[in-house]
Amino acid sequence: MTALALAAAELKRVTRDRTFLFFIVLLPILVILLVGLTTSSSTSIRVGVVPGQSATLATQLVGDLEADPGLTTQRYATRADAVDAMRRGELDAVVLIPRNLDADLRSGLAVRVPVLVSGSVEASQAAETGVSSVVARHGAAVQAATFATAHTDRSFDENLATTRSVQRATPVVPVRTVVVNSKSNILPAGYSYSAPTMLVLFVFINAVAGGGAMIQTRKFGIFSRALAAPIRPRDLVFGEALCYLALSLGQALLIVVVGAVMFGVSWGNPVAAAALIGMWALVGTGAGMVSGTIFRTSEQAGAIGPAVGIAFGMLGGCMWPLEIVPQSVRLAGHLTPHAWAVDAWVTLLSRGGGLVDIAGYLAILATYAVVLLAIASFRLRRSLVTP
Amino acid sequence: MSAVLAIALKDLRQRLRDRSAIVLGFIAPLAVAWLISMAFGSVGSFHANVAVVDLDGGPVAAGFSTFVKGPDLADLLTVKSTAGEADARAKVANGDLSAAFVIPRGFSDAITSGQGLPITVLASVDSSVAEQVARSLAQSFTAQIEAVQLSVKAAVLAGAPPSTVAELAQKAAAVRPPERTVTQPSGTKELSAIGYYAPAMGIFFMFFAIDFGAAGYFLERTGGTLDRLAAAPIGPGAILLGKSLATFVYGLASLGTVAVVTSLAFHADWGPPLAVFALIVALALTLVGLTALVITAARTQRQASGFASILTFGLVLLGGNFIFIGGAPQILRTLALLTPNGWALRAFTDFAGGADWTAGVTPLMAILAFAFGSGAVAFALRRRVVNL
Repeated sequence: MTALALAAAELKRVTRDRTFLFFIVLLPILVILLVGLTTSSSTSIRVGVVPGQSATLATQLVGDLEADPGLTTQRYATRADAVDAMRRGELDAVVLIPRNLDADLRSGLAVRVPVLVSGSVEASQAAETGVSSVVARHGAAVQAATFATAHTDRSFDENLATTRSVQRATPVVPVRTVVVNSKSNILPAGYSYSAPTMLVLFVFINAVAGGGAMIQTRKFGIFSRALAAPIRPRDLVFGEALCYLALSLGQALLIVVVGAVMFGVSWGNPVAAAALIGMWALVGTGAGMVSGTIFRTSEQAGAIGPAVGIAFGMLGGCMWPLEIVPQSVRLAGHLTPHAWAVDAWVTLLSRGGGLVDIAGYLAILATYAVVLLAIASFRLRRSLVTP
Repeated sequence: MSAVLAIALKDLRQRLRDRSAIVLGFIAPLAVAWLISMAFGSVGSFHANVAVVDLDGGPVAAGFSTFVKGPDLADLLTVKSTAGEADARAKVANGDLSAAFVIPRGFSDAITSGQGLPITVLASVDSSVAEQVARSLAQSFTAQIEAVQLSVKAAVLAGAPPSTVAELAQKAAAVRPPERTVTQPSGTKELSAIGYYAPAMGIFFMFFAIDFGAAGYFLERTGGTLDRLAAAPIGPGAILLGKSLATFVYGLASLGTVAVVTSLAFHADWGPPLAVFALIVALALTLVGLTALVITAARTQRQASGFASILTFGLVLLGGNFIFIGGAPQILRTLALLTPNGWALRAFTDFAGGADWTAGVTPLMAILAFAFGSGAVAFALRRRVVNL
């Protein structure tokens, strides 16, 4: 009971700080929004198109590129504008529609469509492949129309309309895709990626930065005064732990609710998700209390804490999927609890897993929580009882 | 002038004694750059392991195998062998293969007789780019077959006698494709992760100095140091200038160190040294302007820390220091240019992409405008803070 009262008092003091509320409420939502927006637009091949002219065949080719589901296209007025965008990493390739495309194709000349790529030509082959298949199909319709015009009395434009319509309606050799597995090893792009990873990141960062509050409590002499009352040191330690647990759970629940309501994130099996959030909140509690006992000033906790949190988040797969980094970095990442928490979210959200499927991850996270809480409790208790 | 220098030196000494200033200004950005360099240093261009499951055995299917194994695609694809469709499915599912092509039985015969059976691309849910590339390759191959069959169909639909189909098909097969792509280098360099995130993280951690500077000022006020300074024959401008100089030197040293170390140790390409130096100086001036602004806007140390944190995170979120702004939607790319760090990242990105020093001129002007704009507002409000 004493611990609960202590936790409530500490919680009241901490949440009165408006800056803390900015970090715990507004910042996570903004980061989820930004990362979600960025990752949702990064799965397709991005191509800039410089149309160059408005003649029929050129317009059709631009339209075909824009209609291709594998490409995300953006038109540019000039080559320089498109190259600037590619230099900034906004595009994977730039297609320059030749100014004489229409006239040359109609007169039976072969046309080469330049595809500008960044860096080495080999590095951009994936983008070039996507463009060349669209150009090849466009060329097939033109070739057929030219052939039919040469062997019949119909005009090129009439034949072109026919070949394009036949091509669209019944592809001669269709290509179909079969996805062989439904269970992904990475989180889905967009908010379903950013919300769970930022939950992992912010619960930890805010707990570690929040360690400054414990340092202030000590500095203000609140612990000493509390010990003058009939309160046992272990109640103080327990009260602090409850305060950090409440903050971590509050942070996590806020992200879950905002993720579900604002960004439409599905959090998977509710029991398993609740268990994972609870366990991660315990890890956060331990980390926050360790921060409160190892840093000397609240400024240090507030400054170094987030830097450590960001580094752990990067290593642990909160900023990018660990699937895309080398094996050694992936292994090193799993020294942080973050990587195990993200793995558990992948199991829940991408593989439809339940409590049993994440039991192993929960056990590992429980180990981290126990170790951190033990270190923090020992250090805090020692600081309380040592005169 | 000596008073300004004395104040600046005292502030710098005080700041460097604080471990967190060293960690945030120097260690953290370099550690993060090192992490990014490790994570993405050996990630090369896209390459896919694929397999062709030839259930047909005919000449057209053989032509497809030859096409994907051709020298033109050697940098993009490695063609692996499989024991059949089931094996290919299992390998795609477990990630051994990025994608696989299945050529159905009767494929060549169907094409010879003017028909078509579908080529199936087996793909994994986790490799959308590999799926797109495989699909595009299959479509590129089938486009030529399609051209021949479409030619005959179009000719017949346009009035060619059906009895001439075989002859038309022979003629159509001899026609070369009218359009093809040709890859050309654009003169730009590929932007690396370290090339982007080294400046992004350097600026992010440098902005933490706004909090140090502002909070330090209020600490001095509550500690009575400023009262004593006010009693001395030193004008309010000199006090602000001294503190600004310390902030400027700290910012310059922090971002300058990150630039030098990441260039030498992680091969981050920051750009032409003089242009980079000018941008770093402009950013350090912005740091001074923003710190002064926070000091004039806040009334207590707690308020100053709050304003500084919100300003720092607001700027870095909007400016693209946390996310790769090139991959973000257009609206975010535009919003980034409302911040000095967004302009700085644009310049550093352009430099890393191979642009010359002129690409830094507009960003430099924009950053200086932020620096002097915020500094001017702070200067206008200076009496509010030093009128003790």
